[in-house]
Amino acid sequence: MEREVLFRIRRFDGEKEYWQDFRFTARKGMTVLEGLYFIKENLDGSLAFRASCRMGICGSCAVKINGKPRLACETQIFDVGDVLEIEPLDNMPVLKDLIVDMDGFFRKHEAVKPYLIRKDDDYENPKELLQTPKELHAYYDFSLCIKCGACYSACPASATRSDYLGPAAITAAYRFCADSRDEGREDRLALVSGSEGVWRCHFNAECSEVCPKSIEPAKAIQKMRLMSAIHMIKSIFR
Amino acid sequence: MKGVSGWFTLKGKSVNSIAYSFHRLTGIVLLLYLIAHLSFLTSLRIGEETYTAFISITVRPETLPLDSLLFLATFYHAFNGLRVVLNEFGLLYEARKVLIYLMTLLALLFWLYSTYMMYVFLTG
Ligand code: SF4
Ligand code: FES
Repeated sequence: MEREVLFRIRRFDGEKEYWQDFRFTARKGMTVLEGLYFIKENLDGSLAFRASCRMGICGSCAVKINGKPRLACETQIFDVGDVLEIEPLDNMPVLKDLIVDMDGFFRKHEAVKPYLIRKDDDYENPKELLQTPKELHAYYDFSLCIKCGACYSACPASATRSDYLGPAAITAAYRFCADSRDEGREDRLALVSGSEGVWRCHFNAECSEVCPKSIEPAKAIQKMRLMSAIHMIKSIFR
Repeated sequence: MKGVSGWFTLKGKSVNSIAYSFHRLTGIVLLLYLIAHLSFLTSLRIGEETYTAFISITVRPETLPLDSLLFLATFYHAFNGLRVVLNEFGLLYEARKVLIYLMTLLALLFWLYSTYMMYVFLTG
């Protein structure tokens, strides 16, 4: 099955922003990313967008499709309709066309120490750290984040506070705090307990709606918030 | 950054964002009402006549629609706020959409009843 579709793309050339229309014949099963490649190869070679794996793993291709942040490689054109408005993600500076500057997003991720912290780290003599299935399930879902930035784009708290860590970074913090092998909880709680951390979230929960990996960042933030509140109360009596 | 418009952007968003936007809007309405309310009360310091003059402007049948809208904003903000408090305590976030509909329904019921009561009060 084939039919003509219209891609309306919000472009940016470094100075001005404008909308450009592209019409082409799409076939059944064609993804938005394939549509973007078709335009780049056949209609306008100057169109810029990010992509790598084409299979929902690398998180590079997130764009807004008809207002909703989605992975272009996981969204089929006909599932959206015949007219697709494609824009760069929100809450990050646009560099060119659909490419946004994700540096701040990754810096925030880095800031919450998203790695196992152990007091007995010894790379010369590595030892196995055992976990029960229950301990694994406590954090497993939250470990599936591909850092696509869709949640950050949809978050109204990130829209008004540039210092807010955002859903993905707090989810990463929770993922490690909930890991039975980790010993860095205190460090991370100190990082996410401020007004630029969990308390900035106003539970819009749109992050959970748009996450392509169905991770529920909103849930991770509320769990982290509870952890943070208990930590704060405990620290008063310490 | 998208700025404050990010609070009110509904295109491509879910019912969560509609609830969120209305919560912000009704919050602003209630803040404006609070300022007006406190100004009215402060007018008592000037004299009872001033206060009565102010009250006579707002407590009359013609302003009933405004009062009714104020009650709608109040009930919406209160019930939706309750949902947010529950969710933010880590409770029922998986049922957040059902809760949105439930709380909106409760707000509408309370609003209709309060509007009816105000109408009866004003018209005798
Ligand atoms: S939490 Fe989901 S939406 Fe956010 S960056 Fe990770 S995969 Fe993307
Ligand atoms: S290209 Fe890798 S997630 Fe889409």
